[in-house]
Parts: sequence; C-alpha cells; structure tokens
Amino acid sequence: MANNKKAKKPKPVLILGALSIVLLVLVIIFFTGGGREKVARFIDANLPKTPAAAGEPAATKTVTLFFLDDDDDFLHGETRPIAAGPTANEEAERALAELIKGSEGSLVSPLPPQTKVRQVFIGKDGVATVDFSRDVAEKFAYGSTMELAAVYAVVNTLAFNFKAVKKVVILVEGAEKETLGGHVDLTRAFLPDYSLVAR
Amino acid sequence: MRSDPIDRTARGAALAAALLVALAVCPVSGQAQAGQGQRIQTMVIDPGHGGMETGAKGKFGNLEKDITLAISLKLKALVERNMGFEVVLTRDKDVDVSVENRSAIANNRKAGLFISVHSNGAVQKKAAGSETFFLSLNATDEETRRLAYLENNSSALQSRIDPSSDDDLMMILWDMAQTAYIKQSGQLAEMVQGELDALLGTRNRGIKQAPFKILTGVACPAILVEAAFISNPEEEQKLASEEFQSKVAEAIYRGLARYLRMPE
Repeated sequence: MANNKKAKKPKPVLILGALSIVLLVLVIIFFTGGGREKVARFIDANLPKTPAAAGEPAATKTVTLFFLDDDDDFLHGETRPIAAGPTANEEAERALAELIKGSEGSLVSPLPPQTKVRQVFIGKDGVATVDFSRDVAEKFAYGSTMELAAVYAVVNTLAFNFKAVKKVVILVEGAEKETLGGHVDLTRAFLPDYSLVAR
Repeated sequence: MRSDPIDRTARGAALAAALLVALAVCPVSGQAQAGQGQRIQTMVIDPGHGGMETGAKGKFGNLEKDITLAISLKLKALVERNMGFEVVLTRDKDVDVSVENRSAIANNRKAGLFISVHSNGAVQKKAAGSETFFLSLNATDEETRRLAYLENNSSALQSRIDPSSDDDLMMILWDMAQTAYIKQSGQLAEMVQGELDALLGTRNRGIKQAPFKILTGVACPAILVEAAFISNPEEEQKLASEEFQSKVAEAIYRGLARYLRMPE
C-alpha cells in the first residue's frame, strides 16, 4: 500500500524526466539495435534522390547495363534511360529488369529472359540483396562461363550504377541458393569485377 | 543466456580447428617437401554435376554430366595404372551429389589433390577452348583479415588448441578450407592447363580464378578443369567422342605428373 501512495503523488518533473529517458532509449534502440533494415528503409524513403535531369518532373536516370558480345568473352556496357526514383531500390530493380529484357543493339543478355526481379534491397552497409524468381536458375542449363557472366552482369550493373552498392548478394525466390547451375558460389557477397568488362 | 559464452568459445575453437585440421589433412603443404607428390596417398576426381543436375547442354543433346563422368573414369584408370595412390570418385554413376558431400568426400578421405572435371557452356555459340580454374576468394575485407591471421598464426594455434570433432565446427572449417591452398592450386592449374593446351589442339583460354562453390571447401590443392565448350556444336561433338575424352584425361594426367614433380 505504501508503494501505491508514493506512486500516486509523483512530482511532474520526475514524470517528464522518466518519459524523456524512455524516449531517448527508444530512439537509441531504433537506430542501433538490430533494426538495420528498418533504418535503411527509413533513410531510403526520406532522402531526396538525385534527379538525373536537374530536378525536372518524370526524371530519368541513365544506367549502364552489362551484356555479352558474340565475338568475345567480355561484358560490354550499354547505356539506356530508366525512370528515376523514388528510391534507389526501385531504380535498381528497374535496371535489372532492363538487363534481363536484353540489349537494344546486338549484345546478348546473360540471364534467362523469363527471370523476374522480385526485389532489390540496398542496405546501409553497402550490400545490395537481389531476389530473382526461380527462372534465373531453372531456365538456363549453365556452364561455368555462362554462370560467371550471369552473376557478374548483375553484380557489375548494380555496383557501377549505384554508388551505395559495394557488394551484392543474390537470392533465388527469397532464399539463399548455393549456385545458379552448379558452379558459382552464391552464398557469399560478390564484389564487382570490372576485369570482365571489355575496355 | 547460458549458451552465449559457450558459443563464443566454440567459434574460437572452430577457427582454430579449421586451421589445425586444414594443415593436418594436407601434408603436402609443408614448405620443405622434396616434391609436391611426396606424401599424397589419395586423390579425388569429381565428375561435375549428375542426376537431376545436368550441367550445360549441347545442341545435339549431350549433357555436361555425362561427359564429365566419362572423362573422370578415364582419368581415374590412368592415375591408378601409373601413379602410386588411391583414386576416389565423388560419383561413379549418374546420381545427384551435393557440393558439400563432394568436398566432404575429399576431406574425409584426406585427399591430397582434388580435380573437378567439367565441360563449359557459354551464351555465345562461338566460345571455344579449354581453361582451368582455381578458387578466387572474392575476398571481402573481413576475409582478407581472417586469411592474413591464418597465415601468420597457424603454428602457434596448432600447438595450443585441440581440434574438436563437432559437426558444426567441421562445417565452418570446410567452408574456408581452400584458402590455405590457393598457391598450390594455382600451380596445379598452370601445369594441367599447359598440357591441355599441348594435347587438345583447342583454343587455350588459360588459367583463371573464380568463386566456384565446389572448390571452397576442399582442404588440399584443388582445380576445376573445363575441357571444352559443350555449347559450341563443333566442340560438343569432340567432347562426345571417346578419343577426345581420352586426350583430355591424358592431358590432365600429364599436368598432374608435372605438378607432382615440382619442388616445394
């Protein structure tokens, strides 16, 4: 009972003080405690995106997509505009969809045309996580060279066009997969490899 | 949270065990060996793919998994006839074998050499030739630091820590096992590719590094040989012929012999 009485007559300053401490703790937990994704999403959603055409409406962003050429083993860049914003994640999804759609010239996409980009998420730590539909693994019978080209076309396209992307993780149908076709290890994050790009 | 400190200890022990076993499994890693082959008793040949997983496909319907098995069987026979060690295949028929099981076979049998046999596939129909891969670490900063630590502290750790046989620890160990053998794997790749180039008459695409899953967990010198392109109709027909398959096996065998004679 004595406790109850004490609790019923607290000083307003104490209540304010206690509330502000609780608030502070909540803020700290929000920004530091495991909620990386939440924070990244929050930041992504609130940062103004650099408009490609000096802030005009319906802005576009020019991206470089990496395709194969019939005559050599290298990746070749091809530029094209995509719709800009609102988030880098969405721009990245659009860029990969264009990569899958294929070249507007004579180059060849190293990914199965049926592949859908389910999601791209660029984390605050610089890791872009790409989630493809299962077609990416099932519609091609990959050889080593083909699988390397498919993986690095994706990795290089993201790292080259989006400054925030340092590494890329590839998921299939929302889950980690060992390889696309039995060769290239997908369980580790990829750094871009521009030595595969034609000079 | 009683398990927390145990977890941490386990992780530390895992790293140490990784080192220790990796060093113990592959006796050829010693700097002062007279030849690379001195203490190898077992080698593992890995016919790429198998079962549901066909690998690359040729225009005439040939499958990578069948070509790799045919070449591997020929290579096994050659090595057994001419070299003094046991040869273990990761599969000797058309069955699925997981990547983990393939490297586990090599590590459990204490293999001193690991050769994965493949036939290549590219989107470009003109792509042709043979190439030999060894592992690239695709090293992140963290992995580079870990590797540097491993190289610098291996002997100290080896003398202090008793390896555990815990399954989880073994998985962690094998996940990074190949990092200790990159240099030898590169030499092996060079020797084998040289012979492929000399014997096959196909385009020499050279030796390359790639982050191939099959190589990451193998605790001894390990390479992946791409004999030729099954996606190239001309090379597909070669690959399907017994004569060419024998030549590939012979080239790998000769490269292997050259590697084993190498000093250090």
